[in-house]
Amino acid sequence: MIFWLISTIIKIIVVFGIILLAAAYLTLLERKIAARIQNRLGPMEAGFHGLLQPIADGIKLFFKEDIIPAEANKALFILAPIIAVIPALVTFSVIPFGAPVKILGHIVPLQITDVNIGILFILALTSLGVYGVVVGGWASNSKYALLGGLRTAAQMISYEISLALSIIGVIMIAGSLSLANIVSAQSHIWFIVFQPAGFLIYLIASTAEMNRVPFDLGEAEGELVAGFHTEYSSMKFAFYFIGEYAQIVVNSAIITTLFLGGWQGPFLPSVIWFIIKVFAVILVYLWFRWTYPRLRYDELMHFGWKFLLPLALANIIVTGFVMILLGK
Amino acid sequence: MLFYVFSIIAIYSALMVILSRNPLTSALYLVLCFFAIAGFYVILDMEFLAAMQVLVYAGAIMVLVVLVIMLLNLANAKNIPKDFHQMFIAVISFILLFFEIFLYAIKGSGKVPTGIYTTAFIKTIGNTQIIGEFLFTKYIFPFEVASILLLIAIIGAFIFARRKF
Repeated sequence: MIFWLISTIIKIIVVFGIILLAAAYLTLLERKIAARIQNRLGPMEAGFHGLLQPIADGIKLFFKEDIIPAEANKALFILAPIIAVIPALVTFSVIPFGAPVKILGHIVPLQITDVNIGILFILALTSLGVYGVVVGGWASNSKYALLGGLRTAAQMISYEISLALSIIGVIMIAGSLSLANIVSAQSHIWFIVFQPAGFLIYLIASTAEMNRVPFDLGEAEGELVAGFHTEYSSMKFAFYFIGEYAQIVVNSAIITTLFLGGWQGPFLPSVIWFIIKVFAVILVYLWFRWTYPRLRYDELMHFGWKFLLPLALANIIVTGFVMILLGK
Repeated sequence: MLFYVFSIIAIYSALMVILSRNPLTSALYLVLCFFAIAGFYVILDMEFLAAMQVLVYAGAIMVLVVLVIMLLNLANAKNIPKDFHQMFIAVISFILLFFEIFLYAIKGSGKVPTGIYTTAFIKTIGNTQIIGEFLFTKYIFPFEVASILLLIAIIGAFIFARRKF
């Protein structure tokens, strides 16, 4: 019992620290990749090739003046960035990031907790991410923030349905909602082979869910200044940023677990495989951002409701048919 | 112990839903209330229901409510005159509901899973499968009625939305 408690607490601290560190260094990675795509060098001054840039940014944000607009709803204004960060961090508690290891005669699963409804837990938490944006946009009492919040809310509701439906194919094949079981079901073939459509839908819908280009309608600079976080400054602004980048890490980890075989792989230790796969998916997300132009609002809604949603439904039906035909 | 924590949260947030003047705050307290109820489900070993409670109510329906509040900009309407003409109905329904709860509290006894579905069995295979099985066998009729009701609601919403053009 004591051993379990200590090992769980250590796991929580390590995972928490790594996600926050990864979120900070993703800002540097994003700037570097953007620079490479645009044939520039990116941050070069702070540290070797800009390696200290995230720390410099953090210090800068920390010492900036923290402004709360006079007419803003103070309590909600402070609460909103916190709501934006928490779901992203909590989601990681059910993701298995390595094969079980044996320490002092106890078998420790490298996963903070294995709930038997793991996928639903993740979906429930991702569906809460919208509150941080909406409440922030509303509490700022600014028209740009309000419009950004509204747009984001409408967009996230639309894409959430496709996101949830794209996973159902995986659940049908694995026959379980627990993420540990889903990973072990992929020991021979990754689910991306059986579910290529589901994988693509999840990739696109999660990009929309995170409000990243080409779906960043909620913070379109050309129209809405900065969208829902227009009025935010200092550490509250930083919280929104941490939330966004932590979500990239978490979503990449979910894709790795559901479609890319989780921590499984030959030769290297399981945790290394997990990190490699997550990093590859993160690179795809960043690549998206610097490749595609932003969609117009009506295009976004058409794409979500008239293309992604029917495709996700068709994917479920086809998966069901094939499974019956193969007699599984 | 956990039961009391969740009860206090649920009751406090439910009260704040009707007591707070700001509609958005009310909506957010309702979300908190749904969370507390999800907590009850977890205590009762109903993880599936808990996840669905958060996913459907807190994550989808309440987002729509918040969206409507923001669109109508209700937060600025602070000086709404108080309207008490429904008080009579409210008192009657309060008495009825309270009587019902009272009756259940005295007469009701804790229900134990029967047949092959013992608590240990439910714990081994998880309640998601059992709920699914029952929905498509024993309770297929109510399930289908609910689906048709939802379909009618969708068509109705579509017709109302069309009228504007």
